[in-house]
Amino acid sequence: DLEVEPAAEPWPENATLYQPLKEDQILLSDHASSLAVQAYLRMCGLPVQVLCRVNSEFMSPSGKIPFIHVGNQVVSELGPIVQFTKAKGHSLSDGLDDVQRAEMKAYMELVNNMLLTAELYIQWCDDATAAEISRPRYSSPYSWPLSKILAYQKQWEVRRKMNAIGWGGKTLQQVYEDVSQCCQALSQRLGMQPYFFNKQPTELDALVFGHLFTILTTRLTSSELAERVKSYSNLLSFCRRIEQTYFEDKSS
Amino acid sequence: TGTLHSLDPLPMQGPELGIQADDIEAPEVEQEPKQEVLENKNVVVQRVHIDGLGRTKEDLLTYEIAEVFRANNLIDVMRKSHEARQKLLRLGIFRKVEVNIDTSRGEDALPNGLDVTFEVTELRRMTGSYNTMVGNNEGSMVLGLRLPNVFGRAEKLTFQFSYGTKETSYGLSFFKPQPGHFERKLKKEKFLFINTTYSKTGSCSFPMWKTNQTLKWEGVWRELGCLGQNASFAIRNESGHSLKSSLSHAMVVDTRNSSILPRKGGLLKIHQELAGYTGGDARFLKEDFEIQLNKTLYWDSVLSASLWGGLLLPFGDAPTCIADRFYLGGPTSIRGFSMYSMGPQSDGDYLGGEAYWAGGLHLYTPLPFRPGRGGFGDLFRTHFFLNAGNLCNLHYGEGPQAHLKKLAECIRWSYGLGIVLRLGNIARLELNYCIPMGVQSGDRICDGIQFGAGIRFL
Repeated sequence: DLEVEPAAEPWPENATLYQPLKEDQILLSDHASSLAVQAYLRMCGLPVQVLCRVNSEFMSPSGKIPFIHVGNQVVSELGPIVQFTKAKGHSLSDGLDDVQRAEMKAYMELVNNMLLTAELYIQWCDDATAAEISRPRYSSPYSWPLSKILAYQKQWEVRRKMNAIGWGGKTLQQVYEDVSQCCQALSQRLGMQPYFFNKQPTELDALVFGHLFTILTTRLTSSELAERVKSYSNLLSFCRRIEQTYFEDKSS
Repeated sequence: TGTLHSLDPLPMQGPELGIQADDIEAPEVEQEPKQEVLENKNVVVQRVHIDGLGRTKEDLLTYEIAEVFRANNLIDVMRKSHEARQKLLRLGIFRKVEVNIDTSRGEDALPNGLDVTFEVTELRRMTGSYNTMVGNNEGSMVLGLRLPNVFGRAEKLTFQFSYGTKETSYGLSFFKPQPGHFERKLKKEKFLFINTTYSKTGSCSFPMWKTNQTLKWEGVWRELGCLGQNASFAIRNESGHSLKSSLSHAMVVDTRNSSILPRKGGLLKIHQELAGYTGGDARFLKEDFEIQLNKTLYWDSVLSASLWGGLLLPFGDAPTCIADRFYLGGPTSIRGFSMYSMGPQSDGDYLGGEAYWAGGLHLYTPLPFRPGRGGFGDLFRTHFFLNAGNLCNLHYGEGPQAHLKKLAECIRWSYGLGIVLRLGNIARLELNYCIPMGVQSGDRICDGIQFGAGIRFL
């Protein structure tokens, strides 16, 4: 038997991506992260099947959504997945020089620190959203009283993390302001180009698409979050472009 | 001290009542005259005291001692007082109960009146304990804290913390207002951890004809997860939370003379569990049984045959959970195989099966040449054994014929001999030389010397 290095194995046909149930369970932040990974893999031309599982959060080795099962390996979150595909010889950012790569990393950090955190804040720290949307959806696969226990446990965990990073004291309006500022920075960097680094999409494009598209298409208790994003027309056309180029076969 | 005022004695009929001539002659009934008196000396119990009550509430005890008032002759008084003493001890809140029967004193004392006094010593508010426990191929140390009689009405509260080779748990049991048990347990097995928060309330056990029946309800919150990155995907698939709410019934008929190394008699245990109809996510019907027969043969040897089996039937589309399935293999079931290392597996992680059967045939003999006979040597036995069994998953669309066929093919079996040591009436240790046969691909065997410790052996 020949022992093949896992990194050198080609991308299999049966690669799968796991996320929570789409209709009833998945929340805004998880859907954004999952869509970002799906967009990235499509941009690389790597086929992956999306499977929805109730316990995907607990199956994930890091506890975060999404994760992919490729061959014998299980990898979660966009950062490690990008590294994983790079080891298999697929990369979107090879054409960038060092300065551009540093810039790309900085913008990805911005999206994670601002957009993702804002999504988590709105979901779990805003009482109205938590009560009407997040807790019911998160607990929908379980029966009482486990449903209540798990939902409140998750909420408590997220709130604790928000306090730890200093977002505990923010108001909803301040969070919307932060989102606007982030979108403004992204919009300025994008300008009139099709993608952030001109002609070719990179993992940054996938990440931004995942978050903005999800924000635009998810119904929350208030539409203010979507409105803030909509005020940047180049970001809107960016999302539409990626949807049409890479997702035209499926209706998101 | 607490005093109970006398109840009115029950009305009695006939000529026994009333003061009789010979009674008046012996006013202060001392010890000696009491001994002369036979059953037909009639008495009236006028007062029953309980001395020594601290935090125990009196109303709890009224029922236990009420019978004493009904006694109408001296032997009866003594018998009923003795029974009442047993009842008081059975409450589990007194360390000592002593009974004093004396003649009535005071203004309203009848010549044939008696005062019965129960002198009790309450248990301490809190006691601690330390034990070691042996399970099936695992051991643990247990620290316990017991509060008998927390609020004065025999509410018993026990807290237990256990730390073992495979399992760490802490639990709380309470006896009143309703018997209940709450436990949180973390169990680690190779690549899988199971964290259970378990609550059992409403369990009752009662004898019926020759059997002992137990009914119980339990609610369990289970969290399963992978330990380490190398867990197989099949185990990873089972990660997450689930809630099991089940009703179960068990019937036990046990005519053996001992549960460890019995010499005669038999055991029949049938257990069923229905989950899902009282809430929860897990929905299944689980049946399992255990049969054992023992017979003493010539020369102090014992022939023992046992049969175990079980079936897990899920309802609906959801697959069964790894925590509900059966496991087989190991020094306490099919010897010669590693612990729980038989049947369906994925990448070396055993997933359990939905149906199994296992049988054992043993011949126990005293040690050759009988060393230490009459003493230490009697704790040891040599045994020759034959074990067989199978564990698999069933596809419930196929019907019983297909299932029986599946359980009958690919049978694992083993034979060998070894030494058994009996530990009190609780556990046994075995050191065997095993030869496993019928090994299927994926099973892990332990041929040669195998050591086992536990309380339930095939």
